[in-house]
Amino acid sequence: MTSYGTKIKAVLLCGAMAFSGATAVHAEMEEQEVADLLHLVMSSDRTVYTRMIVNRLAVKEKVITASEHFEDEKALVLPAQMFRFGAEMVAEETDAFSYSLLSLWPINKQNAPATDLEKEGLQYLVDNPGENFYGEEELGGQNYFTAFYADVAVAEACTSCHNDHKDSPKTDFEGGDVMGGVVIRIPVE
Amino acid sequence: MSRNALLWMLWSLLTFVGAGAVFAALYIGGDRTVLLPGQTAGAHHQLEIACETCHTSDPFDSQAAIKKDINKTCTTCHKDELKEADDSHPKKKFTNPRMASYWEKIDGRFCTSCHSEHQPEITLPMMVTLQGDYCVACHSEGDQDIRKDRESHANLTFDTCASSGCHNYHDNRALYEDFLVKHAGAPWLMDEPVVAAAALPQLPRASSTEEIETYLASLDAPVQDDEIAHDWAGTAHAAADVTCTSCHAPEEQAWNDHPEEGICSDCHKPAAKSFSLGRHGMRQHSKISKPRDAGKQLKSLGWKDAPEGLVTALNAYLNDPAPPPMMSTDEALVDLSDDAHGQGMTCTSCHSPHKEEPQQTAVTACLSCHNDDHSQSYEESPHFALWQAETTGNALAGTGVTCATCHMPQSEKKGFAVTNHNQNDNLRPNEKMIRSVCLDCHGLGFAIDALADPALIANNFKGQPSRHIESIDWATSRVEPSDQGANQ
Repeated sequence: MTSYGTKIKAVLLCGAMAFSGATAVHAEMEEQEVADLLHLVMSSDRTVYTRMIVNRLAVKEKVITASEHFEDEKALVLPAQMFRFGAEMVAEETDAFSYSLLSLWPINKQNAPATDLEKEGLQYLVDNPGENFYGEEELGGQNYFTAFYADVAVAEACTSCHNDHKDSPKTDFEGGDVMGGVVIRIPVE
Repeated sequence: MSRNALLWMLWSLLTFVGAGAVFAALYIGGDRTVLLPGQTAGAHHQLEIACETCHTSDPFDSQAAIKKDINKTCTTCHKDELKEADDSHPKKKFTNPRMASYWEKIDGRFCTSCHSEHQPEITLPMMVTLQGDYCVACHSEGDQDIRKDRESHANLTFDTCASSGCHNYHDNRALYEDFLVKHAGAPWLMDEPVVAAAALPQLPRASSTEEIETYLASLDAPVQDDEIAHDWAGTAHAAADVTCTSCHAPEEQAWNDHPEEGICSDCHKPAAKSFSLGRHGMRQHSKISKPRDAGKQLKSLGWKDAPEGLVTALNAYLNDPAPPPMMSTDEALVDLSDDAHGQGMTCTSCHSPHKEEPQQTAVTACLSCHNDDHSQSYEESPHFALWQAETTGNALAGTGVTCATCHMPQSEKKGFAVTNHNQNDNLRPNEKMIRSVCLDCHGLGFAIDALADPALIANNFKGQPSRHIESIDWATSRVEPSDQGANQ
């Protein structure tokens, strides 16, 4: 999903940035490449959990449910929680990068875009399926390289849960739709 | 030399000596009580002269480092309870840089943003040092505006979020929306109300006089005191072969008439640990700082090879006062009876060493000190009547409700009941008590209403709540059909 878009953007970026200084290009490419690779791991794990655990057991075989209150309900962790718990564990270990799962139509309002770049990036993902979005922003006095990757409905569990949830702002998701985005931030000078 | 010059010299000398004394007390050793910037809050007065319990930074560290270090020490003692509470606003929720705009409102990365110490004039219950409407900072704008997100909340003011029995900042285990929906419609009292853990089987022990006499006669060791031996023979200690010498002369040591608490905690480790987390026993918490060592202090100030004589002298003359080893009723900040003063808090304050007396440990010991309305109303309460019925054999085990039932709740571990000896664990906010205690016998709606009624709490739940908290009504009104969870 990222290979062609990433490579084309990288070539264009290299060409454009060649006039402004090789060091900057090198630095920016490093961050983008790191973000792309991190996302590859994240999205693969997320897809595997959603398809092979939640969708298989909760939707197809119906042997267990998935619930936000998984401890009380003796249920599976929701895919979005699985992703967030990982992000929080990473944040406890390092501040070299951070990531989150956001959407223009979040069930949990905390996952709505909070910065101008988040609004722009998430909208770009929806308007340009198959493409990533990269930018820079200053948050809390620190500059960040911020990368946005589309989060796509990979299983029935994604669409059925979001479409049926009473707090969901959008209830007509279909398989393959962009439902939100993974946002990765890397602090830069 | 003129008089003025002498006065200047004297002034300079006194200033130098005074500043030196303050500097030495702050950075090397000595009593710093007079330097306390303001009274500490809650139970922290028990450790306030052990400054390094919270102030762990090196001298002259940056403000940012000091803030970070102080906040680390909060979780030294409170980490487990926050984890147990399934904290709704954990630090990890705020560390992502996308939360930067919230840091400017209330910085949720730091405990001290809401709980600032040494400020008694602005300190609210539960050591909150923000205005009571602090939720407004993050839940009143844009996508987070709860008044737009919930029709039922449209006209609410933010000072009621955490004070009405609906929400807490940290612990919402009994208040989250799906839980409300799940427990909606439960009766105020269950059909067969029993505190499950209290009804668990106990270790078998000799109970009848005949059994006890037979057991005592079978012992090799001579009985030194008939009354004590008789009491002991009916205890779990006897059943577990914990004999006189186990406590009074362990490991072939000389006989000690009055064993120290360590003897108890050697075997009862979980009880000792939870005891050290509550106000009764927190003086025994392992993380309360020890008196400073002058040599280490000089080293942290940059003097690595201070003469040994100087270090010895400083340790001798500038020794930190340590907090007493146990809490005394004289230091208590709650309402105690006149007869209760001058008592230390040890295991034997509540537990008779040779005899099991549930009435003493679970009721009498508490009421011998605590003199507030709630405590003094207990013996007039329905809960006490149930306890009387149980102890007189007129009701099943676990049906009685004592002080300890609610304030030192038991839980099941390996088939037996384990008692939480931190009597503050579920006390504040009082909704923490709902799942650990109330729901054993009562419905959620009744429990929420009862705990939100100060008058009912004061008379120890003699009657029905005069208030109704609408949280369950509002939660169920958002669910169609009725069996669907709110946030599944």
